[in-house]
Amino acid sequence: MDSKAVVIIAEHEAGRVSPVSLELLTLARLFEREEGLEPVVLVLGADPEGPAREMARWGGARVIGLKNSWLAQYNNEVYMKILASVLPPLRPRFILTPNSTRSLDFAPGLALRLGGVAFTNVGGVEKKDGAWVFSRSIFNGKIAAGLTPLAEPAIIAVQAGVFRAEAPNPDGSGEVQIIESDIQPERVRTLGVGAARAGGSDLASAEVIVAAGRGIGKKENMDLAHRTAALFARSAVAGSRPVCDNGWLDYPRQVGMTGAVVAPKLYLACGISGAGQHVVGMRGSGFIVSISTDPHAAIFNISDVCVVEDLTVFLPTLLELAAGDQAGEIG
Amino acid sequence: MKILVAAKQVLDPETNLEVDEQALRVAPAVLPRWQMNQFDEYAVEEAVALKERRPGTTVHVVSVGPERVKALIERVMGMGADHGVRIETPEDYLTGPLQTASLIAAWAGARGYDLLVFGVMAEDDMQGQVGPLVAEILGLPLATSVIKAEAFPEEGIIRLEREVEAGRRESLELRTPAVLTIQSGINKPRYPTLSGLLRAKKHSPDVVAAADLAPPEPRERVVALGRPQKTRAGLVLEGGVRDKASRLLEILKEKSFL
Repeated sequence: MDSKAVVIIAEHEAGRVSPVSLELLTLARLFEREEGLEPVVLVLGADPEGPAREMARWGGARVIGLKNSWLAQYNNEVYMKILASVLPPLRPRFILTPNSTRSLDFAPGLALRLGGVAFTNVGGVEKKDGAWVFSRSIFNGKIAAGLTPLAEPAIIAVQAGVFRAEAPNPDGSGEVQIIESDIQPERVRTLGVGAARAGGSDLASAEVIVAAGRGIGKKENMDLAHRTAALFARSAVAGSRPVCDNGWLDYPRQVGMTGAVVAPKLYLACGISGAGQHVVGMRGSGFIVSISTDPHAAIFNISDVCVVEDLTVFLPTLLELAAGDQAGEIG
Repeated sequence: MKILVAAKQVLDPETNLEVDEQALRVAPAVLPRWQMNQFDEYAVEEAVALKERRPGTTVHVVSVGPERVKALIERVMGMGADHGVRIETPEDYLTGPLQTASLIAAWAGARGYDLLVFGVMAEDDMQGQVGPLVAEILGLPLATSVIKAEAFPEEGIIRLEREVEAGRRESLELRTPAVLTIQSGINKPRYPTLSGLLRAKKHSPDVVAAADLAPPEPRERVVALGRPQKTRAGLVLEGGVRDKASRLLEILKEKSFL
């Protein structure tokens, strides 16, 4: 009722704002136009000034850098304490964050502390009959649910790629304010961040990715994925998280939220259900072909070509016909 | 150490699910196949593994749901938990994450658990909120997406790695009591043993009525439920398996992928 802001909690890495944080400015502008809410950007970190200025240049919005020496690494306790003190005076109706392992860590608890509610893995926003409806996929992406908040503020964790980042604001820079705090962690001690997993770099440069999901069934069937990939030049084999969890493929080849984000020219999804955590890692692919026995598999909703077949039957047939073609060309 | 692990029974997402768009609920098309949330299997395994490394540790399992959840509790006990608790709800009780978390927190709050362990999310709602909300309600430190855990009960700490984007890992240490949500792939969940299942059959879990734990009002409302929208052409190939394979090869050639 008396709420007046839409707040973005931006994320940054190595001094640069994450692309999805810039995308959130587009959604904040929508709430500004429709609800008259003032966009305010919060940037937390040990040294938030660079990313705060970057957000201001892009958005022309008011940006507050929240500086704390304990935040060289993410710390749930420090994050929650700072945000719970800074947010109430801003009177936010909506708080937007990238849907990340970080926001999934702090958003539910922060929402409760502020008297509100959090929605995670949000893949769409629309206004319907005067109410804002946030859509999220459930049951491995098979079903879409639309939720509307009954409490304020609502923290909305938005998946990457749902909104497009606008061009930088032509008026130049927005206002940047840095607030330093000496809040200390008492029960959460951070001990450093390990390097990214080695390998998997051929996923980034591959033009064709053949990706295996749980539907591949067993480790021996991974050979089908490798042989299919061998049909193409500049190809690589990847997998969804369950395939890596089962030890059928190394983790550096995992595509999805906690793995690689890829955009090859062709993505061939073999036995992948299409849960949101996987889809955020590959939906930017040029052409998507999916094979699944389940006609309702979520992956078909984002596919250019759908093959409803058992991949252990379909891929050998495909390989056989392709080999016949090649023999024909040579002969 | 006293460990509480929470587990949820879900409809197998790989089965045919029907959406009742009027009643705004998901219903299985044929015989419902209820099973343990796969993410919770990793949480249970981690709890039982912590127990095995530290003699004297006990593991309790809690689940929110109707009578059918008994089978889930038996399975978790078959995997090595010592005691089960069922927070009884009606079959059609629709809970949001806050209701579930409040029920678990109300039951667990004064019972002196050193660790409360959850799966990283449930396969049905996919919110990943119950663990973090229990931490907030009980005022306990939290780590989500845990991919490595080592407890030092004498010092009252647990040392962890949590998995973040691109497979990177953040190392941290929490003072216990603490709440963890366990990422998949941290371990290889064991199958229940026969002796464990037999023991579980004889065990009667505590049953607490949800209403007695006074959960709060929902803070969200489901206003739409349906099949997701298609965002691409979704050309469905027709015919037998050879027809489909040869059509796909044609398409891949037309697009110059082959």
